[in-house]
Amino acid sequence: MTRTIIRVCVGLAALGAIVITGAVVLHLIATPVAAQQRDTSRTGAQADTGDRPFVRGGVYDKPFENRLGSRTAFGGYAEAHARYERADGANEESGFVAKRFNLFASARVSDVVRFASELEFEEGGEEVKVEFAAIDLRIHPSLAFRAGMILSPLGRFNLSHDSPLNEFTDRPLVSTELIGVALSEPGFGALGQFRVGSGGRVTYEVYATNGFNDGLITNAEDGTRLPLGRGNFEDNNASPAFVGRVAWSPRPALELGVSAHHGAYNVFETEGVIVDDRRNATVAVVDFDAMIGGTRVQGEAARATVQIPPGLAGIYSGSQRGIFVEAIREFGRGLVRTLPASTFAAKVRWDAVDFNTALPGDSRIQFTAGVNFRPTAESVLKLDYVRGRVRDDFNNLGNRAALLLSLATYF
Amino acid sequence: MAVGSFACADLLTSAPGEGDTFDAPVEGLTAGERAAFVRGDAEFGRRFSPASGLGPVFNNVSCASCHSGDGRGRLENSLSRIGSAADGFLSELGGPQIQDRAIPGAQPEPVPAGVAVSVRLPPPVFGVGLIEAIPEATIVALADPDDANGDGISGRPNWVFAGAYVPASEPGAGTGLKLGRFGRKAQTSSLLEQTVEAYHQDIGITSEFRPTENRNPMSGLPIDALDAAPDPEVPTSTVQAVVHYIRALAPPAAGALTAARAEGEALFTSIGCALCHTPTLTTGAHKLSALAHKSVPLYSDMLLHDMGDALADNRPDGSATGREWRTTPLWGLRLMRQFLHGQAFLMHDGRARSVEEAILQHAGEGLSSRTAFAALSAAQRAALLDFVESR
Repeated sequence: MTRTIIRVCVGLAALGAIVITGAVVLHLIATPVAAQQRDTSRTGAQADTGDRPFVRGGVYDKPFENRLGSRTAFGGYAEAHARYERADGANEESGFVAKRFNLFASARVSDVVRFASELEFEEGGEEVKVEFAAIDLRIHPSLAFRAGMILSPLGRFNLSHDSPLNEFTDRPLVSTELIGVALSEPGFGALGQFRVGSGGRVTYEVYATNGFNDGLITNAEDGTRLPLGRGNFEDNNASPAFVGRVAWSPRPALELGVSAHHGAYNVFETEGVIVDDRRNATVAVVDFDAMIGGTRVQGEAARATVQIPPGLAGIYSGSQRGIFVEAIREFGRGLVRTLPASTFAAKVRWDAVDFNTALPGDSRIQFTAGVNFRPTAESVLKLDYVRGRVRDDFNNLGNRAALLLSLATYF
Repeated sequence: MAVGSFACADLLTSAPGEGDTFDAPVEGLTAGERAAFVRGDAEFGRRFSPASGLGPVFNNVSCASCHSGDGRGRLENSLSRIGSAADGFLSELGGPQIQDRAIPGAQPEPVPAGVAVSVRLPPPVFGVGLIEAIPEATIVALADPDDANGDGISGRPNWVFAGAYVPASEPGAGTGLKLGRFGRKAQTSSLLEQTVEAYHQDIGITSEFRPTENRNPMSGLPIDALDAAPDPEVPTSTVQAVVHYIRALAPPAAGALTAARAEGEALFTSIGCALCHTPTLTTGAHKLSALAHKSVPLYSDMLLHDMGDALADNRPDGSATGREWRTTPLWGLRLMRQFLHGQAFLMHDGRARSVEEAILQHAGEGLSSRTAFAALSAAQRAALLDFVESR
């Protein structure tokens, strides 16, 4: 028990020291920008201080939230799919899916305290969860404390994945199958940003969280799956995990990020009794987002390392990796005369995930191409063609294809 | 129109050619039988986790994890068997099968030193329903235990006891000795028993037939405190669905019999391969009518043969001695490499990496055929190998 308390105290003290030291150091080498984040709690729809959002499309960058009362804003988004999927010449999942219905609520409690939340209803209410519910205490643009149910800053996509913003019907494989977007955890930490050079900036987020639990193995029938280790609403091992992301943006249309999540996932000590070896799960992600000649190009690459119990070696994977790269080109603005703000977009994405780097099989790779129509910026009709290959543990090949039509809108 | 259809079919994936897989159903199933087949397919592929009952000790996480595409397994999927009826299957050491993996907290079983260990590669599961439907009399009629005809081949059946839990309605069930058909030594008479034991021994899944967890006898861990899934971990309906699925799996189609292969087939017969690898047997009546009265091109007599010292595992099983093995069916060899990432694993433990290697490892009753094969010209050997690998 004493060891646990000492470990938690040391962990939190270390986190605090890292955050404060980092903030001080960054403060000394860079000039803080005037405001940390876009503020949507004023008049709703297009409220913008003129500053760049902390994460484009992320928390506090919900441009379509509507103000209700003096300081609270509400909004959300909805998403529905029509799917036609085939595997090796046979129909697979086909039909209609009320995919998501998410509600946002945020409030500016005071000049220094804000609260934001997102409640998600997935698959027609089959899964309901608090995806985000956190309090921010803003000390300075370079330092704010955040506590609550946070979105783990593990890759940019986990921080910004609203369906009306995501140009593709499905999220990337690496996001859904490896990282487990939306990865949200109870946590406590800090975030901030610094101006670097002319027009550039560095943002950071770092938190201590409850981390993954051993569901990533014990509930995982398809082999190691980090998403099945989510939902650690109560700490399972008195050992915090740490997650953080640093992003460098030399100019508004370019951002490069590195992030990592590390911590023990299993119960190795209970009431002072050592009951197992400590086993860690570590995920590292690099991401980028750039506008190149009018084409938005973004992507992420992730690598996960999971320490596997000896009795499961060879069955459960200790090493996974994944990547996606996508490009979106907007065209035809106002082409529909009755909708002058409307746009079209052509899009392509390549993504892959290797669930077990020690095997030649157990992987998925797919290519997606399609076109979108946005009658206005907040709504999108997406048409996707997906062609993919799946390899089982024996490296046997399966072919998959899908035609996806979806509609998503902020409200 | 035709071009458009082709393009569309290709864009939305196309099915493998007919007869080019190990997981297709036999022809002639009713709609209800096909529905049960589909459910059994899902259960066959279902991977268990510790939360859903895996272990406490086990070898793999699903049926499909050992049988690639429902065909044979690879070396990593091999199982280690120890003991025999005479020594109680060395149950105090983890026999009859060593479970080399365990859920967190439990201890896998080590391969014990100083005892004979029989390594078994998972065999294909397609076609077992047709094998089940071959009348006992047909197989017994092929036996020649005393080599009365003087051809050097003395095949005999493996007479075994069925598990007491096997319902009387199942083929191969009942008291007394039954004809063994399944397994490397034909040590099992019933598909249901084969399935129940695979769940129990290979995956650590209990059923109403085998309701008690398989444990590591050398571990003092109170395993019930770690295994959270209540027993039985699968219902009888799941076992029955999987039995129906494998029973209804069709063998893949053989390749075209070209002129060269016809020459190879003639050599296959002339040097004596076909004396054990009987090209075709015919099924009799069966409760699954799609299996009844069918010609079965399995290339096996389903009998035990002495294969010599080098292949002996020195582990009796049923009435099979430590030198005897059931003649392995050759069907499906055409697709073997396709489902093993270009590799071949032959013989009971996968030691042969090509058909030619497998032939050259035959001894005992197979020695004369091996010698005759070695004496063939290179072109003749190639023709024979091409024929065998086209089955």
